[in-house]
Amino acid sequence: MSAPMLRVENLSAGYGKVEAVRNASLALPQGSIVTVIGANGAGKTTLLNAVMGVIPSRGDVVLEGTPVSALGIEARVGRGLCLVPEKRELFGTMSVEDNLRLGAYRLGGGAIASGLEEVFGRFPRLKERRAQLAGTLSGGERQMLAMGRALMAKPRLLMLDEPSLGLAPRIVKDIFDIIVGLKASGVSILLVEQNARAALQVADHAYVMELGEITLQGPAAELSADPRIIESYLGFGGHAAAPAS
Amino acid sequence: MNAAIALFLMQDGVINGAIYALLGVTLVLVFTVTRVIFVPQGEFVAWGALTLAAFEAGTTPGTAWLLLALGVVTAIADVLRGEIARTPQALLRAGLRDVVLPALLVGLAVWIAPQKPPLWIAGLLTLALIVPMGPLVYRLAFAPMADASVLALFIAAIGVHFTLTGLGLVFFGAEGFRTTPFIAGVFPIGPLPFKGQSLVVLAVTAILLVGLWLFFERTLLGKALRATAVNRLGARLVGIPTLLTGRIAFALASAIGALSGMLVGSLTTIAYDSGFLIGLKGFVAAIAAGLASYPLTVAAAIAVGILESFSAFFASAFKEVIVFALIIPLLVWRSLAARHTDEEEE
Ligand SMILES: Nc1ncnc2c1ncn2[C@@H]1O[C@H](COP(=O)(O)OP(=O)(O)O)[C@@H](O)[C@H]1O
Ligand SMILES: [Mg+2]
Repeated sequence: MSAPMLRVENLSAGYGKVEAVRNASLALPQGSIVTVIGANGAGKTTLLNAVMGVIPSRGDVVLEGTPVSALGIEARVGRGLCLVPEKRELFGTMSVEDNLRLGAYRLGGGAIASGLEEVFGRFPRLKERRAQLAGTLSGGERQMLAMGRALMAKPRLLMLDEPSLGLAPRIVKDIFDIIVGLKASGVSILLVEQNARAALQVADHAYVMELGEITLQGPAAELSADPRIIESYLGFGGHAAAPAS
Repeated sequence: MNAAIALFLMQDGVINGAIYALLGVTLVLVFTVTRVIFVPQGEFVAWGALTLAAFEAGTTPGTAWLLLALGVVTAIADVLRGEIARTPQALLRAGLRDVVLPALLVGLAVWIAPQKPPLWIAGLLTLALIVPMGPLVYRLAFAPMADASVLALFIAAIGVHFTLTGLGLVFFGAEGFRTTPFIAGVFPIGPLPFKGQSLVVLAVTAILLVGLWLFFERTLLGKALRATAVNRLGARLVGIPTLLTGRIAFALASAIGALSGMLVGSLTTIAYDSGFLIGLKGFVAAIAAGLASYPLTVAAAIAVGILESFSAFFASAFKEVIVFALIIPLLVWRSLAARHTDEEEE
């Protein structure tokens, strides 16, 4: 069996003295979608930032069998790890197309043309707006651009931090369709969401994070039926709360 | 004052303004990419002129030895800090780049200087000695604190400025020098006589500004530098090594500084500490443009040059006072404008 795409072992990270993530461990098999759900402030963003190397952390991060804890962000990108951050972090005063081109900075040359074609195929909206400045896009378009920019780097593991945050339901559906499409084309995905219902629908496996610790995990289908999850994260009347017999 | 004098003052102002424009644009470039307010810019100007003057006098410029010393110290510091990996391969590469290459340049300088090389060779060698100092200074002083506040970086920049000025005094003494113009003679253009060197200044400035524009608009590396300026975290997330973009920004800064020095060296006398005042005028222009806009910086720099030449004519004792007194109202105006945009961002 090949090494898992990502293995996180006893990861702790925080800000100054405050530990926002404590001893988190998780594994992500090749080609799967794993989701981390949890309330606002649970430490999900901190976890992703620590895995990406944006903030320092203790513990092990192993990418396809290779420890990457000692590497900087750039080197992790070089190993196929990409993060679409919660705040998108686009280049606001540059055009949509330039944002995308820069996504392929490490690959350069021919990868740019083929990458643009692929991204414009997945996000026709971005093609229409290719000359527009990123800072003038709508919320949904900004999320598409952030995902497109990450895809330009040809990631093996894409980490998405709240891709549905602040978007209209119709656009949320589009975004989740694209996530499923990405999995189909072989990209592994670590998805962080407050929108637990949508996340559990697309994920293979799920972790629940509470107050900086991972408290529950299991196959996404099982967690969708877990009464604790239904009560805390799915609310009443959702389809995940369908009669469990 | 008649029209001829006014025209002459304009010409003088535009030529000085062109130099200030280059320096102002560099300050904007370095600040946006690294958030460092590059106070030591003037030292590179002075060293450009003085190194060229040394070659013309047939002596080895002290900047050659300084380059070697800077290379050795930076390499050691980077190894100690773990910036250079302690593998034979990485150490060899760093040794070649930071020690062997500077040593070769020193050798070349020592060998060529007594032969009084032609001006263009002296000019190229001057650039070869000064340009690498930009990235070296960045690695030594600024890269380790790349994520510090603008204020902390500014204080570091002032420290670097005084250190480099002191070194300049050691190497070149307190005496001022003038270099030979790249093109001697005077050329009448329309009603005005132009010094050959003035034409060189205008041409080089125009070429550099267009070149910079092409670099930033048309190349992926140039766009990566802009991206670093717009959103540092975003740039790191797409894998742009921000320390590399910092080095490139500083290399452009030392290159433009040294080139400006070689250009003004025949128009005015340059001593070890003259660069600071010249750089400060570029700074006034850059501040007027909010440390952000390149075209505005160029326009403001030309305005500073013209203001300076007219105040030199009408009140020569107050020439510098008038130019620098501009900073205060400009900063007040800018801080009012800036507070407004900051609030919008919150
Ligand atoms: N930059 C920061 N400085 C200090 N504390 C922070 C910072 N960012 C987040 N935190 C704290 O860390 C905890 C986890 O935050 P975060 O990882 O953003 O949670 P989530 O993404 O699950 O909403 C919260 O208590 C938050 O207040
Ligand atoms: Mg978050």
